[in-house]
Amino acid sequence: MTRFVLRRLLLALPALFGLLVLTFIMLRVLPHDPSAALAGENATPEQIAAVRKAYGFDEPIWKQFVIYVGQVARADLGNSIISNRPVASDIAWRLPATIELTFASLLFAALVGIPLGTMAAVWHNSPFDHAMRIVTVGGLAIASFWFAIILQIVFSMDLGWLPLRSRYPEGMPPPTAITGLYLVDSLITLRFDQFAAAFKHIVMPAFTLSLGGLASIARFTRAGVLETMQKDFVHYAEAAGYARKRIIWVYVLRNSVVAATTQIGLLFGALISSAVAVEAIFDWPGVGSYAVSAILTSDYKAVLAVTLVVGLIYAVVNIIVDVVHAMLDPRVAENL
Amino acid sequence: MKRRTFLAGTGAAAATAVIGSPIALAQRAPNELIWADQLPGNLDPHALFDVPMQGYMVNVYDTLYIYEGNPPKLAPWLASGHTVSDDGLTWTFKLNDGVKFHDDSPLTAEDVVWSFQRLLSIKKGAASAFLPVLDPANVTAPDKSTVVFKLKHSYVPFLSAIPLVAIVNRRVLEPNVKDNDWGQAWLSSHSAGSGVYVLDPETYRPVQQLDLKRNPGHFKGWGHNPQPVEVVRRRNILETTTRINALIKGEIDATDSYLPTDQVERVMKSKTATVSQDESMRVMVLRMNNKKAPLDNVHYRQALSHAFNYKGFISGVLKDYAVRNAGPIPANLWGAPKDLPPYDYNLDKAKELVAKAKAEGAPVDRPIEIHIQQHLAQTTQAAQILQQDLRRIGVTLNIVPNLWPQLVSSTAKPETTPDMWVHWVSTYFVDPENWIGQMYDSSFHGTWKASCWYKNDKVDTLLREARRHSDQAKRTALYEEASRIVVAEAADIWIYNTIELRGLSNRVKGFQFTPVGSGANFRIISLTG
Amino acid sequence: MLILKKFLRDIPAVLGLLIISAVCFIAAFAPVIVPDADAVYFGNIINRLQPPSAEYWFGTDNLGRDVFARVIVGTRGALTVALTVVTLAIAIGVPAGLYAGYSNGWGSEIIMRVTDVFLAVPQLILALAIAQLMGRGLESAMAALALTYWPFFCRTVYGEVRRVRNALFVEALQGLGASTSRILFVHVLPNVASPIIVRATIGMGFTILTTAVLGFLGIGAAPPSPDWGLAIAESREYLPESWWAVTFPGLAILVTVLGFNLFGDGLRDLVDPRLRRSR
Repeated sequence: MTRFVLRRLLLALPALFGLLVLTFIMLRVLPHDPSAALAGENATPEQIAAVRKAYGFDEPIWKQFVIYVGQVARADLGNSIISNRPVASDIAWRLPATIELTFASLLFAALVGIPLGTMAAVWHNSPFDHAMRIVTVGGLAIASFWFAIILQIVFSMDLGWLPLRSRYPEGMPPPTAITGLYLVDSLITLRFDQFAAAFKHIVMPAFTLSLGGLASIARFTRAGVLETMQKDFVHYAEAAGYARKRIIWVYVLRNSVVAATTQIGLLFGALISSAVAVEAIFDWPGVGSYAVSAILTSDYKAVLAVTLVVGLIYAVVNIIVDVVHAMLDPRVAENL
Repeated sequence: MKRRTFLAGTGAAAATAVIGSPIALAQRAPNELIWADQLPGNLDPHALFDVPMQGYMVNVYDTLYIYEGNPPKLAPWLASGHTVSDDGLTWTFKLNDGVKFHDDSPLTAEDVVWSFQRLLSIKKGAASAFLPVLDPANVTAPDKSTVVFKLKHSYVPFLSAIPLVAIVNRRVLEPNVKDNDWGQAWLSSHSAGSGVYVLDPETYRPVQQLDLKRNPGHFKGWGHNPQPVEVVRRRNILETTTRINALIKGEIDATDSYLPTDQVERVMKSKTATVSQDESMRVMVLRMNNKKAPLDNVHYRQALSHAFNYKGFISGVLKDYAVRNAGPIPANLWGAPKDLPPYDYNLDKAKELVAKAKAEGAPVDRPIEIHIQQHLAQTTQAAQILQQDLRRIGVTLNIVPNLWPQLVSSTAKPETTPDMWVHWVSTYFVDPENWIGQMYDSSFHGTWKASCWYKNDKVDTLLREARRHSDQAKRTALYEEASRIVVAEAADIWIYNTIELRGLSNRVKGFQFTPVGSGANFRIISLTG
Repeated sequence: MLILKKFLRDIPAVLGLLIISAVCFIAAFAPVIVPDADAVYFGNIINRLQPPSAEYWFGTDNLGRDVFARVIVGTRGALTVALTVVTLAIAIGVPAGLYAGYSNGWGSEIIMRVTDVFLAVPQLILALAIAQLMGRGLESAMAALALTYWPFFCRTVYGEVRRVRNALFVEALQGLGASTSRILFVHVLPNVASPIIVRATIGMGFTILTTAVLGFLGIGAAPPSPDWGLAIAESREYLPESWWAVTFPGLAILVTVLGFNLFGDGLRDLVDPRLRRSR
């Protein structure tokens, strides 16, 4: 197992290196003269030259890249050209909100998708199976920013059930910061009032996002259950007189969910992508809305920093998924 | 306790909390104001000067003079008054005693001098209004309560520009100076002021949020406002729709001041909020690059001026929440000729003028481009309305989405300046100089305000003379004459003067609009309920 | 014909095919359905934000333009963009995947590592960064999407080629002295065609959706284009009163993407019953 984890980590290195090259190219090579942009509107030629020197733009390109990698390693993603502050700290502040939102929607997609997929497998090729497919694929096909606005109007404005925006009530003290995820922290500290407040805020954005993942989870669960149901142990269990319900929902499902977990890595990327527009609409203080304001102010350093950070998280999530997958299904580890 | 029992118990408690939670959704603390207007890009009042910065600066910093009311009037603030020498070159300001910064140190003439030197040295934001007439060395403090400015040449709008300069606390800033940057990096996310509210730097997240706390020791005292706001939470909500819904729902107390006109009625109908409607001084302009053919042809420019459906746009799209403006100076400011007729919408005339331009050799068949600011819906609408009508007279107009920072840097040279672009000229200081002076005097070429690249020696002379005269009646005559010329030559297309529409919750009392800062003056606001 | 029978039993996939046919029909006959091309771009401001009626089936938008005409003509744009992006992605990804899969050595290594890099960042985020640097507009949005989508083809083809590379018939061809390119394009490519088609179908739907998001964020189509995402972006500030200007373009996106995804899923079931990958 340790060997598998190490090998998996090693495999991720070239991709991460490539990611650094890619962002470096976009950051340093493409803008015509980054030093002029950095020095500000009314900068004199001397000021620009000083900036060029300070940032090492007069060094050969490979050396600049080494400097860049060193900066990234120290979590220095440069200062925003708009706010004049370290981009890394601004992203760090917003990261927990985005992670909480994406994981909540993954959880939701799994909680709904796995039972749906199982039922579809049990009654495969029935009208229920077809309807399930159309509905979940419909969720995948919906424009999330469009659906988000509709949800706001119905559940917040008309029915008044849920808060419209933000992550937490204004002025209410947030949960003690342990993980930075409000739902988790409030549970750890047993503050159910805080949990309730955070929960109400996350319902609509998490639901909107989860639609994108529902289809794949349901689909892979269905395929997994169908396959497992052909296996010998199921027939033995049936012969031994176990209740069919128990066989499916306990033994078969346990063996089929593995297939669905492999999807979570891919799904995470899709979710974080739709989070950009969804966060902006729900005024969710995460990395997505940060990216939107950076786009509107042409803060290219912030945009590229988001690219880099999301890429890193994506890589980490995929490594974790693969490791978990290998633990559930040892054959995976052997094939690597 | 067995694990399962514990989990079940936790689950039940959580479920009760979620379903029967006692937290009302829009329950709000009584002394807290949530102001959901745009935040400035950073918090250094000398590095930036735009409308969001004004809204921050008027609360956290003090200035020698301030603007009050609508139409705005200059009023002494940190200064108790000023005198000008007969030649108009030496300006002497007397300061009020007993003014204290947020750290309780006294605000003296030294601080004023240092603030101006800082502004003029970092050469950003409001510096452009002073650089042509003022050297850093010519700001001096003969004693603790006197500041003297010696200008290079007479410049009457000087006083109007004085409220642009925040007085900062040198003792707080100096320890935070890095690499000779005058503390810019630090002040971008901290404050060093004396204003009516104090920034809580812990709460500051760029373009997202910041909290302000009341400064009970402000030198003007709080006698005017028995129920002041203790905490102002400034929140930037990116989505217009979300912002308006949050106001109606009572989650916030104020939106920005540019509500979409179609939403005004909806907000007014709600039981929670209303809309403050105030004629501002903010002119919408479709810029034309007068140096690019065919826009260098006066008849072609006049044709475009006749091809815009002003009434359709102002009455139809904006539902008359805007006032037609004939020229560059807002109609509610002196210097704008009252009898000057605006261009009318007349496609036949436009067609004739295009033909005339063609006869003069203008390449009228070249498709032209108009750049819009993509997140500002009105710029798109205006461009599309012009596009529709131009097509009817055989002119092709292409729309290019763009953003403010790129547009501003493109206006440095005539070749890179777009054929046309859409923007507003807001009130930076209240003087015709802010509009016609900096837009049509050719010495401002290369700045976004002068991005039409208009050049007329007569107009240059008139505008430069107007800057030197201290007699307002004389200045009025000069500005009116200049206005008539630029309008006759159709240097740009001026559309309207803005009525600012700010959504306000019914809790907000005492809101008073002034074009500088758009009424975001929390000192006079109180909250009920 | 067994395969056709199997396909017809898959009701959702048949529904998907019907939707795609209908959408293509609408796109092809848009000039017939909306004979007045001016209605798409030119409206009467007086008639702005009219609710759906006999004259304006889907109502009018904020500039008085006919939403029905814009949604119909927008179909053409959506399909063109999706086709262009997918074609470009195939043009890059398939040859790269064929080469990398068939050859050994550093060329193959480099291609696959580059593929890994592009796959290491969620697509929309990468597209945002690319569009940010290339400037705004539909062209750069399309280029950005193609640049982020080709690795999927490359990966798929690479895997399939690796699988068939050691098949007997390839070895036989090599023995007969057939050139590498001939083996790749004439003999190997047909073997990997089906996974390409599946991915392309799903990619069509995915591209339409992502273009809409880019349009919504303001880095896709430029006004006055009847782009669906842009239409939602432009009309959203008139909600909830003028719901029609947002709802109909939104439904158009939903139905079209649903069609491509259902059909793609059905195809995948036929080709690859084990479902190796999703999206």
